Amino acid sequence: MAAFIVRMGPVLMLWLAVCVSGSWAVDRGNFKTCDQSTFCKRQRALKPGQSPYRALLETLELTNTKLTLQLINDNNKVRLLLELYRLQGNMTRVKINELKPLKPRFEVPDVLINDPPTEPLSLLSQDENGMVLSLGADSQRLIVSAKPFRLDIMEGREVLLSLNSRGLLAFEHLRIRKDTLADPEGAEKKEETDAASEQTEGEEATKEDEKVEDGMWEETFKSHTDSKPNGPTSISLDFSLPGVEHVYGIPEHADTLKLKTTDGGEPYRLYNLDVFQYELFNPMALYGAIPVMLSHSPQRTMGLFWLNAAETWVDISSNTAGKTVFGQMLDYVQGSSETPQTDVRWISESGIIDVFIMLGPTPTDVFAQYASLTGTQAFPPLAALAYHQCRWNYNDQEDVAAVDQGFDQHDIPYDFIWLDIEHADGKRYFTWDPHKFPQPKEMLQGLEDKRRKMVAIVDPHIKVDNSYKIHSEIRSRGFYIKNKDGGDYEGWCWPGNSGYPDFTNPEMRAWWASMFAYDQYEGSRENLYTWNDMNEPSVFNGPEVTMHKDAVHGNWEHRDLHNIYGLYVQMATAEGLIQRSGGVERPFVLTRAFFAGSQRYGAVWTGDNAAEWDHLKITIPMCLSLGLVGVSFCGADVGGFFKSPSPELLVRWYQTGAYQPFFRAHAHLDTPRREPWLFGPENTALIREAVRQRYALLPYWYQLFYHAHRTGQPVMRYSLWVEYPQDTATFSMDDQFLLGRDLLVHPVTEEGARGVTAYLPGNGEVWFDVHTFQKHNGGQNLYIPVTMSSIPVFQRGGSIIPRKVRVRRSSSCMEHDPYTLYVALSPKRFAQGELYIDDGHTFSYEKQKEFIYRRLAFANNTLSSRNLAPGSQFTTLSWIEKIVILGASKPSKVTLKMPDGKESQLEFDFDASMSVLTLRKPGVNAGVDWTVVLQ
Amino acid sequence: MHCPILIAVVIWSSCVDSQKIRGISLSYKRFYRERKSFLCIDGSKLIPFDQVNDDYCDCADGSDEPGTAACPDGRFYCTNLGYRPHYIPSSRVNDAICDCCDASDEYNSHTACQNTCRNLGQRERAEVKSQMRALDQGLRLKQQLIEEGVLTWRDKQAQLRDLQRVLDDLQTQLDDLRKEDARRKKEVDALRELEIGALETEENSHRSHIMNESPVSIFYELDSNRDGRLSAKEVRAKLTDIQDGERVLSEDEAVALLGGGHHVDLSRFEETLWNSIRIGHNVTIRGRVPGRLVKGEPVLKAAVSAAEKAAAELKKVEDAYETVYMEIRDLREKLATDYGPEREFLFLYNQCFQLKVHEYFYELCPFNQVTQTSASGAEVSLGKWGSWAGSPQHRYSQMKYENGEPCWQGPTRNTVVTLTCGTETALRSVKEPGKCQYVAEFQTPVACRPALRQQGVHSEL
Repeated sequence: MAAFIVRMGPVLMLWLAVCVSGSWAVDRGNFKTCDQSTFCKRQRALKPGQSPYRALLETLELTNTKLTLQLINDNNKVRLLLELYRLQGNMTRVKINELKPLKPRFEVPDVLINDPPTEPLSLLSQDENGMVLSLGADSQRLIVSAKPFRLDIMEGREVLLSLNSRGLLAFEHLRIRKDTLADPEGAEKKEETDAASEQTEGEEATKEDEKVEDGMWEETFKSHTDSKPNGPTSISLDFSLPGVEHVYGIPEHADTLKLKTTDGGEPYRLYNLDVFQYELFNPMALYGAIPVMLSHSPQRTMGLFWLNAAETWVDISSNTAGKTVFGQMLDYVQGSSETPQTDVRWISESGIIDVFIMLGPTPTDVFAQYASLTGTQAFPPLAALAYHQCRWNYNDQEDVAAVDQGFDQHDIPYDFIWLDIEHADGKRYFTWDPHKFPQPKEMLQGLEDKRRKMVAIVDPHIKVDNSYKIHSEIRSRGFYIKNKDGGDYEGWCWPGNSGYPDFTNPEMRAWWASMFAYDQYEGSRENLYTWNDMNEPSVFNGPEVTMHKDAVHGNWEHRDLHNIYGLYVQMATAEGLIQRSGGVERPFVLTRAFFAGSQRYGAVWTGDNAAEWDHLKITIPMCLSLGLVGVSFCGADVGGFFKSPSPELLVRWYQTGAYQPFFRAHAHLDTPRREPWLFGPENTALIREAVRQRYALLPYWYQLFYHAHRTGQPVMRYSLWVEYPQDTATFSMDDQFLLGRDLLVHPVTEEGARGVTAYLPGNGEVWFDVHTFQKHNGGQNLYIPVTMSSIPVFQRGGSIIPRKVRVRRSSSCMEHDPYTLYVALSPKRFAQGELYIDDGHTFSYEKQKEFIYRRLAFANNTLSSRNLAPGSQFTTLSWIEKIVILGASKPSKVTLKMPDGKESQLEFDFDASMSVLTLRKPGVNAGVDWTVVLQ
Repeated sequence: MHCPILIAVVIWSSCVDSQKIRGISLSYKRFYRERKSFLCIDGSKLIPFDQVNDDYCDCADGSDEPGTAACPDGRFYCTNLGYRPHYIPSSRVNDAICDCCDASDEYNSHTACQNTCRNLGQRERAEVKSQMRALDQGLRLKQQLIEEGVLTWRDKQAQLRDLQRVLDDLQTQLDDLRKEDARRKKEVDALRELEIGALETEENSHRSHIMNESPVSIFYELDSNRDGRLSAKEVRAKLTDIQDGERVLSEDEAVALLGGGHHVDLSRFEETLWNSIRIGHNVTIRGRVPGRLVKGEPVLKAAVSAAEKAAAELKKVEDAYETVYMEIRDLREKLATDYGPEREFLFLYNQCFQLKVHEYFYELCPFNQVTQTSASGAEVSLGKWGSWAGSPQHRYSQMKYENGEPCWQGPTRNTVVTLTCGTETALRSVKEPGKCQYVAEFQTPVACRPALRQQGVHSEL
């Protein structure tokens, strides 16, 4: 869906005309720079130097679970309270809040899956300058320096990370307004303050006049004024990472995977925004925000999780940035240079400092650590991993039926067809347009008959219309977000004047979830799923196309929790889909806005991109970045949302999308139709082939998602440093990626490309071209000629990948089909893989342990399948159809052995030119033990 | 196999010779004669016969698995006794979706497919029958319309010839009239030139014109009481306003004409009033033509009037010519439009067809334009007649209307009209599958083709 387009009221049209002005690039003027966001400007004006904060060591309290310590700002005598926890799994949590805030400051709820379990800390030594604590069993120590306050985490003699080393800790304490515009309640508040401050030393100092700057108590951007009843509340902290030259994460930005330094430019901004026609390669905020940054060096991978849902800016600087390779080499030779170091500074508008330092040391450890805090990727229904056909809009039931028929006619599989905003009656979500979709249930039944599904959009802006049940209920229950004056907040969105339900309210979420019940959501059926768009939230006539920061959610300002609103929308929707099935079925919900923890609720996509080659390229780093911080189920609109792709671009995009986690074609209302068969038989065949490659690999995709769900390891991985953390050669490369560990994909993203250069990692490893079975050595850049027929994909030598090569109309139709195992041998003639099978759509895998999880291993010329989950039970009709062994030599005899001692000879075929051995029809059930011996 | 007996019987009876070979048509039976081995139809490989339909793909061309889903891009033959046999992709075998009406594709998927071929066959035969009836009727109507078209075409041709003849006549007339007109104009010009010359040498010119009238004779004519002088009263009695012959001059005007006095003698007359009369700007003698025209101008006037008449006549004929010319042009254009091989679409010209879809009102005027009118009354052009746009085999099955009103941030609207066979001529549907890209269905007997009967007969099995 687009930010703003057509078919709106005339008022909006006028406003649009001003906004859109016909150009194809983002209108930067609609969005704030750091300079225009006064807290960012204030904070950024603060330069590194001596920190005014001092640790009051005498206030130290050390319990079994945490350390507390007061900090004092020597300039204004305001005291802060530091809480420090050693968390299980090699993490440290640092919380800093005001010791006695005027009123509570916002702490982000519902992101952590539990209260993270702690480990004891012990004090090793202490003097008047600071103290040394032991961080758990490792040789890790925490050094607290008193003046200026600073924290250093060390392992052995090595500093892993320092806090406030550049003195940029800044905490704008809550204060009473002292300028002429002070509100009438001031007096009352003051009494409270006096009462509170009696217990505080240095109270005189806190009464010193704070310097009042413009924008502290009110801020105007374009025509919007932000009343700031709480005044300045921002926070900031710096982190230094010695030895680190590469940092990643903090999505969502349309930028390279490796984060750039922000010296002299804008910081990376995290503020969920509906950005119309976003620009590539810049740090502007987009639809989602995950305040998690990963650092990586050959020695160690670490992560910083800044748990704050307010508008946030991140500055990155590096002492090696800008140095040439030669310069760095010179430094190294002369041995004189400082070690490389990356400095990071986080600035948020409100809330508290609550940061989780994930100490790795490996990438896998960091993923596990972050997963232990915020949970793992929701395990989607298998069908959701298949192909999705979307368009704004499929016009009516007939159109849906015709497109469905088109896929059958052209023998292209698909699982989901999507309906955008036009399906609802006047954009009243949960309803159907009575002319275009008069019989939604019949339509859904028609899809069910083909074992296919549908997604209909449900956005969180609700048309203000008293005859609309959803609106009148939300209003009467008081579930709408309030404006600063206490009335229901209203803004413009698709339906015109709209209210925004307060999804931060658990009662609201419970009510919302109940609206997905089959008897509430008229026309819905089991095969209808949901799409949450515009949940930044998008407010067409709001500041920066979003909600006023002084809108009110219960006790909190929208300012405090803006970035988590979208997460709650998806959370409540997913809960609704679970509840409607009585907790049996897994939900599938797509969201555009997200926050840390959103991975638990479904899929995200990269929003309103464009049909341009650069937009195809950027899908790789954008989804890789999300994968690194927990969100594996990521995709981009195949073909590009805005504009119309050339057939070549469309084909290349299908080929790339087929190897990205969320695989959905989507198009803007104004673009010409682009169903796969509309570009001539040749292109139809190319797209069919791309989609079929996806379907054949669904068993592997499903298993990767199971793995991601269990462990938090990303599905789509950055090739080098996640699986090859020592291989520095390509730390900045983001034009290729690994799926799991075993498939390396190098999309073709250049127009008219005749070849690509792929980097095959791993010295001493081998990779097999999955299309030709050609073997290549790892540790090299390899030029691969390409045609339009496919993109280069390689299987790692040493891996076993299960496929279902009988591609059918939809993934459901393939449920009982047999598997073909692709065994790619390592140079040492070894390989292993997994096979995961369950019913594909319920929670039975979790609740009743109904699944099959097996290890497939090839060693000593023997391939075997062994149960990895003895406690589980599931029966499948699927069997092993064929085994293809790549890099094999010709055996004289192949024997299949069953546990009961039965043996049989397998026929085989050997292709000597490619060293491919094909075993004919082992025929064993996929869920049982078996062994195949090559002799 | 878990097939109901009924289905098994159907399969058995349809493949008596090779019971085992599921999914092939009779014409392929020869490839599957039961022997020891089976040669892939493309000749690529020889396999043991028991590997045919054993749910494993051995042949690159998929020919060893006609009855299973094992081979990619294979095909399965639905015999569909009682209905129409057809191939389905083999990926649809045992996918728990009933594709063959005889249920033969779902022999191992635990899906209870009903054999619906009989019903389908009956329904289709009934449908085909009614379609055939409609087609026959449509073809008859089409023949009529073709014949009417032929007549219309002849009429139009005759009309064109007539018009051409009229145009030729008009051309001749025009030539004459133009000559006449030119001559008249020339005459007037000549006279005008004389006049202009006269005005330039006004005195002489006037003198020559009033040679019969000396100041003395005029003086005595005006001197009614013969007292040798002219009084204001006499002036008022005899002279009149040149513009308005009825008006009696005022005393003051008379006095002014007399040079300010109430009486003038002859010599004073020659200095005052005479000049006024002679120039004839203000006054003239009552009952006489005003001074200027008095002298030689009736000739010019007659010439001008004749010229004007000639010009008017010319204009009239020119207009007639223009009208006929346009009519011919329109008719030619109309006749140049492609109305199909037998001009069967000719009757649609100048007709319009309407359809209401929800809040919109659509109008198709074939060979002219398509429009959409909203409930609020705003009319939008969805395209002007462009061309026939059907496939090369069926060029006349689709019409394209292009260059309608431009879309917001997009291309111009256009409409593709698909013609379907029916007994009535009517606009059946209008849709907008892509923004500003409309498709319409237009039903008419002239879209009926005898070939449709062949197809119908074929589908009848």
